[in-house]
Amino acid sequence: MKITLELNGVSRTLECQVHESLFRVLRREGMVSVRFGSASGETGASAVLLDGRLASSEVILAAQAEGHSVTTVESLNTDSSLHPIQAAFAATGAMQSGYSTPAMVLGTLALLEADPDPDDETIRDMLSGILDRETAYVKPVAAVRQAASVLRGAEAEPFRPLITEAMTDGRNPVDVDPADPAPDAPSAVPRLVPSRDVPPTSVVGQPEVKVDALRLVKGNPAFTADFETRGLLHAKVLRSPHAHARITAIDDSAARALPGVHAVLHHGNVERIKYASGGQSYPNPKPYDQVSFDDKVRHVGDRVAAVAADTPEIAEEACRLIQVDYEVLPAVFDELEAGGEGAPVVHDEADTVDIADRENNLVHHIYAQRGDVDAALASAEKVYEQTFRVHQVQQCPIEPHISVAWLDSDERMVVRTATQVPFHTRRMLAPLIGMDIKDVRVIKPRIGGGFGVKQEMLIEDIVAHLAIATRRPVQLELTRAEEFYASRTRHPQTLTYRTGIDVDGNLVAQELRLVGNTGPYGTHGYTVQVVSGLRGLSSYNCDNKRFDCDVVYTNIPVPGAYRGYGGPQALFGLEAHMEDIALDLGVDPIDFRRRNWVKVGDEMNIAPHLGEQGTTEEVLDEYPRIASNGIEECVAQGARAIGWHRRLDSSWREPVERPNIRRGLGFAFCMHGTAIPFLDMGGCSIKLNDDGSFNMLVGATDLGTGADTVLGQIAAEVLGVPLNDIKVYSSDTDVTPFDTGAYASSTTYISGTAVKKAADVVRMRLKERAAMLLGIEAPCSIELRDRKAWAPDGRSVSLAEIALDSLHLNEQEQIMGTGSHVSPDCPPPFAAQFVELEVDIDTGQVTVVKMVMAVDCGVAINPITASGQVEGGMLQALGYAHCEEIVLDGDGTMVNPSFGPYPIYRADETPETEVFLVQTMEDSGPFGAKAVAEIPKDGVAPAVRNAILNATGARINELPFTPERVHRALHRT
Amino acid sequence: MPRALTYHRPASLDDALALLALEDHVPLGGGTILNADDDPTPVAMVDLQALDLGGITPDGDEVTIGATTSLQEIANDDRVPEVIRRAARAELPSTLRTLATLGGTVAAAGPDSLLFAALLVHEARVDSVGPDGKSDHALADRPVSSGGLVVSVSVATDGFSTHEGTGRTPADTPIVSATARRTDQRMLLALTGVADRPTLVDPNDPTASLDPVGDFRGSAGYRLHLAGVLAARVVTASGGGT
Repeated sequence: MKITLELNGVSRTLECQVHESLFRVLRREGMVSVRFGSASGETGASAVLLDGRLASSEVILAAQAEGHSVTTVESLNTDSSLHPIQAAFAATGAMQSGYSTPAMVLGTLALLEADPDPDDETIRDMLSGILDRETAYVKPVAAVRQAASVLRGAEAEPFRPLITEAMTDGRNPVDVDPADPAPDAPSAVPRLVPSRDVPPTSVVGQPEVKVDALRLVKGNPAFTADFETRGLLHAKVLRSPHAHARITAIDDSAARALPGVHAVLHHGNVERIKYASGGQSYPNPKPYDQVSFDDKVRHVGDRVAAVAADTPEIAEEACRLIQVDYEVLPAVFDELEAGGEGAPVVHDEADTVDIADRENNLVHHIYAQRGDVDAALASAEKVYEQTFRVHQVQQCPIEPHISVAWLDSDERMVVRTATQVPFHTRRMLAPLIGMDIKDVRVIKPRIGGGFGVKQEMLIEDIVAHLAIATRRPVQLELTRAEEFYASRTRHPQTLTYRTGIDVDGNLVAQELRLVGNTGPYGTHGYTVQVVSGLRGLSSYNCDNKRFDCDVVYTNIPVPGAYRGYGGPQALFGLEAHMEDIALDLGVDPIDFRRRNWVKVGDEMNIAPHLGEQGTTEEVLDEYPRIASNGIEECVAQGARAIGWHRRLDSSWREPVERPNIRRGLGFAFCMHGTAIPFLDMGGCSIKLNDDGSFNMLVGATDLGTGADTVLGQIAAEVLGVPLNDIKVYSSDTDVTPFDTGAYASSTTYISGTAVKKAADVVRMRLKERAAMLLGIEAPCSIELRDRKAWAPDGRSVSLAEIALDSLHLNEQEQIMGTGSHVSPDCPPPFAAQFVELEVDIDTGQVTVVKMVMAVDCGVAINPITASGQVEGGMLQALGYAHCEEIVLDGDGTMVNPSFGPYPIYRADETPETEVFLVQTMEDSGPFGAKAVAEIPKDGVAPAVRNAILNATGARINELPFTPERVHRALHRT
Repeated sequence: MPRALTYHRPASLDDALALLALEDHVPLGGGTILNADDDPTPVAMVDLQALDLGGITPDGDEVTIGATTSLQEIANDDRVPEVIRRAARAELPSTLRTLATLGGTVAAAGPDSLLFAALLVHEARVDSVGPDGKSDHALADRPVSSGGLVVSVSVATDGFSTHEGTGRTPADTPIVSATARRTDQRMLLALTGVADRPTLVDPNDPTASLDPVGDFRGSAGYRLHLAGVLAARVVTASGGGT
């Protein structure tokens, strides 16, 4: 059929199918700013203005738009400049991945036309239909306010951190005066507490606009789906309806006969090659318990077959036509029942090896000990033991998994894919498709959020197999439901802490027994639980520590990597446990922790025993030590900002005017890691261009975190140029240097140091060439700044002049440098997490009012992107604590695989947040930097739990804190 | 999306009804329910947007809201009672409420619909047409007749209304909610989350006839408990029972 509509002000007649959505037609017309989030429209990524009203185009039939006006962000892109709204989003750091930014820009456009000066509530209501998993909506609200101000005629205010005076000497605690006012600034403005130990810098530490801002605010092609591929086929996957079953027969004849179908793949026609899908360093942790298509399914949603067809609808229809006979087997879902009598064996196939105890579904037994825990517990003054249960949640990137594969003109396999680990993916994919690594190329464009779920070789093998089978490009994009139950999730665990205390309140022994549920496949199953042990036993000094862990198979949707890895699970248990011990001892919970937490110079005495490649029992000659720790300043700043003194004020906790409400404050001490020592590696190359600018290639993977920007700032600082002179490209396995990828909070620290090394090489050569031009014998006396090389006598030569000279005139050479870095260190960032909340004691409903995180991430290379990481991480963590939960029915089918039933926080319900960046100088990091990406996930759940305890006296040791669970606990209390 | 085989945009109610009388023909309002459905069963879409059923018209102590009025338009119109406006805003987020229509919300009669509950306490009357002709009936009796179309909904504007709900987060669709309205003559109380659609209950004994079904958000017993707590709150806030 044909429809006529006004598209971005121009009357257009478009051809479409009756069943096609407006979203599909707009994409076909090149409006790539309109992005897929879910077919039911609840993410808002596809929002357009329909007759001036913000509306999700996924739930509008194209035919419905006949006769209407449709506006996309492309309408604003009339030249190279930015519309004031786009400029405001760029200036305030309001986008991370930027996947949904065009929708926000359009919403702002419509809102400000109706209301030029909206209040925050109105702005948040506008944003309520655009889910953002990254920013916590804090900076988007600031962007709308700034845009409104500019459109009313005001000058744009520079968006900068608020410099905040230190309250401590950096080492010792202070008493926070309740009358001392906290810094006053909008939530979006990070409070930056400088350290005298940090040398001055020009580009590092500055609130630079993201290097990818232009393409993101304009909605230019940036993401995997945005690039046109001629002859593209669409893939769909037939998935198991059973949690555990053997496939006894497959008849694909009807599917193959369907017009428009080009290939149908399943275990009968794809070679059986074992692998583990976790995107991890070589050699991948065992067991290798997956194949591309198996004759057995192990969870609802497991792969059965895949189809490539002319359209997604034909592929779906073909999947329905595949006849599969199943022998349904018993299933097990609970990690505590996986090894029980009568539990089914999840992996009974002979070709999966390296399972610790196959018959009992025990994949790994992990054990590490320092000292003598039993003896220490026996001699302890008091021993405490508590068990905690943590649940299964999903990462929920707004861009679902998507990959496109094709054979290039040399018949090499090219995969453009939303991945955090392009180099691991290349190495892991090659053997599955019978190619050499050299014949596989993986391109990572921009990614619409990852959070760990894309640290996986998840669907790339499917599109590659189909591309080989069809010799056509093939794209697979997961549906929102598939993203929930057929990608990856966070590991559920049962954790038991046992802690011995001496008469002075010092820890003498601490043990963590853990049963980790790795679902049907072991991907990340070993390392996530190892990190739980590492994070769960590293925060506090104690000579006697033990980690005793079983990792078990079940039939739940597959767990994998999720931001924080095993840290959030372990710290929920640990920080709840420490709170309860303190209260039992009758001491202040922060003082009790302070007595025991690690300080500068203290050993990290269990970390070396819990590595990605295995555990070790051998006592080492030397252990890594804490080199920087800003926790005292974090606690002081956070306590003042949250009003910590109120926690013992009964008149505040029990407001007389609201008799059903109890208020509470909670705290958690957070310590995370920065990269995996001796393993994570990053590479960088930098070359000089004719105009004195630089191309910088990095293998590091910017998920929206701002990594490209931060890495560019590091290079710019070294080379004495503005950030705009560094053109960053990441990442393409044919072009960019190797990098392990975006995980383990490693990019700034590892890849950043690689950048610094590469830039140092270039800087040295620039100085040598400048010395030649200036007639100076000592190149080391030359300084680079302001795009020039300066001699001590004040003469200078520009980098452009050096470039032209070296490329065209004298002793010609390409000035370039490479660097790579792997670190023996893993300097922990620290943070103080505070939460204020209210509990309705009649209903059990918990309402979080405010979250404050003060974090020591060393030197924040970019305080705006760093604070954005903290804001978004905290809100994600609040979802984990409060409301998110994958719910399975008795047969293992997820009952809530869509947003709404699975709630992630919307803009109109987020609590107030404040972020403090407490500087310390970490000498092992680039310009003093440590990590910031994952630590915001660690403290919210225990802080909420401890705040509920403060408010009501109820101890709840299971997540999430849903109204009925809280009500039950209150009733029990 | 469901598999749309044909698309119609009738210009009159008669044409729409004639189409809807045909097998597999379904009415299409905003599309937030029908177009979000992934049921592959083929259907023929009958788009109601050209029927001129939109608009909000006050008339004395009543206001009449056309069936194709969007929830956003209801939320924005201060001639509509406050509790209905708030419910329209809470029903869906911004990018969907601009599309969703009052008629679709009434016809769907979702068990958790705050807007439906707000209409109930405002004594909504549904003007509909169907194979058997026109109908003017109380929403409390039935949402819409089989095969019929909502034309408009009229609500009383007097009285004092209030609302309470319990959800997992502040903007979550409440597990259970209570909406009450007191007029000079009486108190009306509607609950969501306790029956297969929002329902009016006796303000003096709100849980007496309830037999809720539990799900992952709340067990049957918990829902019953919430019904009692929330009902008591809104009744008290509205000045007590009858």
